[in-house]
Amino acid sequence: MVRRSLRIFIVLLAICIVALVAGALRILQPDAFAPASRIPSGGSLVSSIRGVPRSFNRYVAPDSAVETITFLTQSRLVRINRATMETEPMLAESWTGSKDNLTYTVKLRRGVKFSDGVPFTSADVVFSFRAIYDEKIGSSIGDSLHVEGKPLEVSALDENTVSIRFPSAFGPGLRVLDNLPIYPRHLLEQSVNDGTFAKAWGVTTPPAKIAGLGPFMLREYQAGQRLVFERNPYYWRKDASGARLPYLDRVTLEIVADQNAEVLRLQSGQIDCIQSEVRPEDYATLKQTASTGRVRLYDLGPGLDADSFWFNLRNDAKIPGARRAWLQHVELRRAIAEAVDRTRFADTVFFGAAVPVFGPVSPANKIWFDPQVPTPAFDRARAASRLAAIGLKNKDRDGMLLDATGQPAQFTLITQKGNTALERGAAVIRDELRTIGLAVDVVPLDVLAVVDRLEKGDFEALYFRFLTSDVDPALSMDFWRSSGNAHVWNRGQPQPATEWERRVDELMARQASTIDLAERKRLFGEVQRVFADQLPILYFAAPRVYVVTNARVLNATPALLRPMVLWSADTLAVSKTPGTSP
Amino acid sequence: MPLFRLLARRAVFGLILVFVVSSGAVLLTRVAPGSVVADLVASGASQETIARERARLGLDRPLLEQYVTWLSHAVRLDFGESLMFGRPVGELVRQRAANTALLAVAALAFATLVGIPLGVVSGSRRRGVVPAIIRAASLVCLSLPPLITSLVFVFIAARTGWFPIGGMTSIEAASPGWFSWLRDVAWHLPIPAFALALPLAAVLERLQSQATGETLGEPYMLATIARGVPRSRLVWRDGFKASIRPVASIYGLFVGGLLSGSFVVEIVTSWPGLGRLMFDALRARDLYLVAGCATVGSIFLAAGGLLSDVALAFADPRMRGEDRS
Amino acid sequence: MRRTGLILMAVVVGLAAAAPLLSPHDPGRTYDNYLHAPPTRLHLRDADGRWDRPFFHPLRLADRLESRYEEDSSRKVHLTWFSRGVLVAEEDERVGLWLPLGADSFGRDLLARILYGARVSLGVALLAVLGSLLIGMAVGGAAGYFGGALDEVLMRLAEFVVVLPTVYLVLTLRAVLPLVLAPAQIFALMVGIFMLVGWPYVARGVRGIVAVERHRDYAEAARAAGAGRARILFRHLLPATLGHLGIQATLLLPAFILAEATLSFVGVGFSDPTPTWGTMLHDAANVSTLAQFPWMLAPAVGIFTVVLAVNLVVQGSGRVPVSTAGR
Repeated sequence: MVRRSLRIFIVLLAICIVALVAGALRILQPDAFAPASRIPSGGSLVSSIRGVPRSFNRYVAPDSAVETITFLTQSRLVRINRATMETEPMLAESWTGSKDNLTYTVKLRRGVKFSDGVPFTSADVVFSFRAIYDEKIGSSIGDSLHVEGKPLEVSALDENTVSIRFPSAFGPGLRVLDNLPIYPRHLLEQSVNDGTFAKAWGVTTPPAKIAGLGPFMLREYQAGQRLVFERNPYYWRKDASGARLPYLDRVTLEIVADQNAEVLRLQSGQIDCIQSEVRPEDYATLKQTASTGRVRLYDLGPGLDADSFWFNLRNDAKIPGARRAWLQHVELRRAIAEAVDRTRFADTVFFGAAVPVFGPVSPANKIWFDPQVPTPAFDRARAASRLAAIGLKNKDRDGMLLDATGQPAQFTLITQKGNTALERGAAVIRDELRTIGLAVDVVPLDVLAVVDRLEKGDFEALYFRFLTSDVDPALSMDFWRSSGNAHVWNRGQPQPATEWERRVDELMARQASTIDLAERKRLFGEVQRVFADQLPILYFAAPRVYVVTNARVLNATPALLRPMVLWSADTLAVSKTPGTSP
Repeated sequence: MPLFRLLARRAVFGLILVFVVSSGAVLLTRVAPGSVVADLVASGASQETIARERARLGLDRPLLEQYVTWLSHAVRLDFGESLMFGRPVGELVRQRAANTALLAVAALAFATLVGIPLGVVSGSRRRGVVPAIIRAASLVCLSLPPLITSLVFVFIAARTGWFPIGGMTSIEAASPGWFSWLRDVAWHLPIPAFALALPLAAVLERLQSQATGETLGEPYMLATIARGVPRSRLVWRDGFKASIRPVASIYGLFVGGLLSGSFVVEIVTSWPGLGRLMFDALRARDLYLVAGCATVGSIFLAAGGLLSDVALAFADPRMRGEDRS
Repeated sequence: MRRTGLILMAVVVGLAAAAPLLSPHDPGRTYDNYLHAPPTRLHLRDADGRWDRPFFHPLRLADRLESRYEEDSSRKVHLTWFSRGVLVAEEDERVGLWLPLGADSFGRDLLARILYGARVSLGVALLAVLGSLLIGMAVGGAAGYFGGALDEVLMRLAEFVVVLPTVYLVLTLRAVLPLVLAPAQIFALMVGIFMLVGWPYVARGVRGIVAVERHRDYAEAARAAGAGRARILFRHLLPATLGHLGIQATLLLPAFILAEATLSFVGVGFSDPTPTWGTMLHDAANVSTLAQFPWMLAPAVGIFTVVLAVNLVVQGSGRVPVSTAGR
């Protein structure tokens, strides 16, 4: 009898021990009590891009297709989180600044490898800077990495530490490094030495010869049709719960030339997201599709880019003297700013989904927008009196103004053909200005022809839209500086042509070389005031930005800057069951 | 032999056509204002960069020199590199031309399958409801140019969702095999092909109708009826065989119309074809690509004309083309 | 059939000519609260079931971004005849707009735009046809009369142009030309390009006829009587080509209308705000627009009607047309 109960006891004990051990093992597993990551891993995503890449080398090719490809396949030391607009460490794990804020000692992440398995070291950073500053390439990124004309000095302190020295105080600091993807020395150093770097990584390069530190690697390029990317097994980034990124296995970029076709394919589920915002005329259809649950619409509020309208203010513009007197006069611009009904503009051009804007900085740019800057009120009578003051007071039979020599007060407005928002905007401007007697000839031209005209300075008035690359104004000095190439109303001046431009030059230079943010904002507020007074560019409305993705796309963080969804490709995921969301 | 002389003459004409068209395209594009490096300016590149890019693409050399360089390469079948895409022109053009050819052949096939039999029916009977309906439908379809048909079909497809709109293939998440690729293209083909085929079918129907009517009125036909051969057999066997030759002989002339029509259809339905490529290249002032497209287009034309002449020569010699009026 | 075609053609031309009388609104006038408005429904019976003069309920904007409208059943607006210089119009524009074919994306009356657009599209086509006929007559007449080397050269040239696909040719010519500023200049440019493309079709036929007629008795008699070359050509030979000219005119007209529509459609022809059938189709070709606001395809009906009319005429004449598909 005792033997029998002993046996039972041993069996029970064994069961208890097994249970305890199993429990213990379970507790000891790393993710046992971590919240199960709701973001599913795996799957593939299809996005569209509008252009064809000229090359895979971002250092030489500036087009938007290469930009998107670079977001997918390369990493930077420091990046600007497009959702928060803050700088984030990427390949650079941490950094310390010297007392004079000129030198940064940057610690690089350890154990990072390129997509072909070769380890990443400080030598790659030094090499990247060397390549970008190479004169033979003449890269626009290289231009942006100069401070007052001098390059940064970069040297390796050891395998995982780099020292970056600014030649003079630079307000944005390391923010500027968002422009520079770090390239592999072992693949490209030879071409820099040979002087053939400009041709390196062209579109016919076999994908095996391209490597990067980004979440994906290029697997295939079907010319003019699509690019296929696969997960980079060596990608260094992990998510908050420690899971390896990227979530997706595959990303395909479809080259779709036409915005119509893009929307169509999105609606039919053939592509999952597009890299630009939704056009106002597509909103109705997409909202309908969103209500069926097939797509998801994100409302990001007013955007950073308003449409820009400016006159040719160059001294050598091919405008006869009599017309130039009023065409280049600041009172004309002030009159136009007062004469255009911006609410009507927003209603007609963007179907109501826009906010009136009066200056170069949109209210969406919360850090740098100065709400204290005076804005013109909508007052047509006042506009008419301004026009009269510069000699436009006589009217002809149709009620249109004549200038002092009896010629009609008329000018030509060039805009981009095919961009519906610009074409509509130009049409509304024409109608609005007709009410105060100004006759506007709208000429829609191909974008290449528009840029040609801009380059040659061969236009009277231009209506265009610039895409901001960052909120910090010091990173777009080419626009603010009178000597800059993007100073569109009067490009590349050897000396500032006007007093106010000289003042803006001075203010911007100070703003760029100040480290204290409050002081920088104050200085930039001054710039906005000068701008509001002189109005070299007129702004009317900034459209609300809507981004649309297929409902199966999860964890998207759409941003106001392009590429709107793929900027954070490593954190994108897709749901396993088609057409549903968790 | 007269046939040989005719063919030789046609071949020479074809070569001249190809030469003139492609040269013309190169020269025209070169003298046109606007430039392909303009997007560099838009992105704020410095003057030096723009000048460098211009030199790299050879745009700063004089017109004659550029033309001669192009010509010397072209005769060796090296059409250079596209300035826009950065890829060899030959590769790009070949693919797109194949897509356009696919569309054109599909449209032609559909038009034939529908137009010819209907033409026989309407031509063999003067009176009756069915021939009248066919004639009326033909008239309507004749008046619907590809521009309109493609817009209407796209609208119908957008509303009903029966067919996909836009492009030639869907994006496949999994790697496509041959068969599924074929099926995918076949699903995308109907809308553009129907749009292109409808007016063509009407033309074929009208032509076939007239030819059938004429053939059936021939004395030997009446004699065959008198012999007791059933009418349907007469119409479909003997009449058809006799009337098909003059109709078939003008197929070559359709090439021009197909190219024109396919251009519009390609734009509306985003079919990746030659017409679309050429248009984009023209607007971008992409010299070599324009020349490549023009060359291939004119080769199609020349081939079509040649085939047409051969067929004409074999067909009823009385119908030696309305060209020679 | 021929008569039906001619009548149809006359109706279209008549409508285009009477555009100012028939359009209830100015084609360039934008109505801010009617963007993408649907065609207005007319009623003959009001809510109580009583018969009334034709009236409609004004539209209210329900959602601007979605371009959704609702009828305001509490108010009625009647149609009146012969007011404001127009045949039929609404009695008070401020209360509600009568848009028989709806409005486009700027809130412009589509009916007005189609009618005025017909003027431009038909104007370009008719002028181009005239020009082609004149040039074709001159070239073909010279080639047929003088023969020899001149004949060879001119006819090779003509054959060459005929072989090329029209749309490609027209597109290339237009695309490489610089921008033009005023619609008037675009108009002249398009007429010019079409004339350059159209004359060979005429010239070949004229040349053939002249070459044959030259040897006829009456022509020989005129020569023997001492008539000069020009006189023979103009008084005797060219009139013989009138039949051919008539046929070519009817074949060229729809081709040119289509060419204008295609050019404007792809964006190298006329542009906003000029109303032409091509620019209107360009506006409509956005797929979202097409699916949501299909009334914007109305100009397609215009094009179809003209081409149909021409085909009826040609059919009625007993010739087989190789019209839209064959050029």
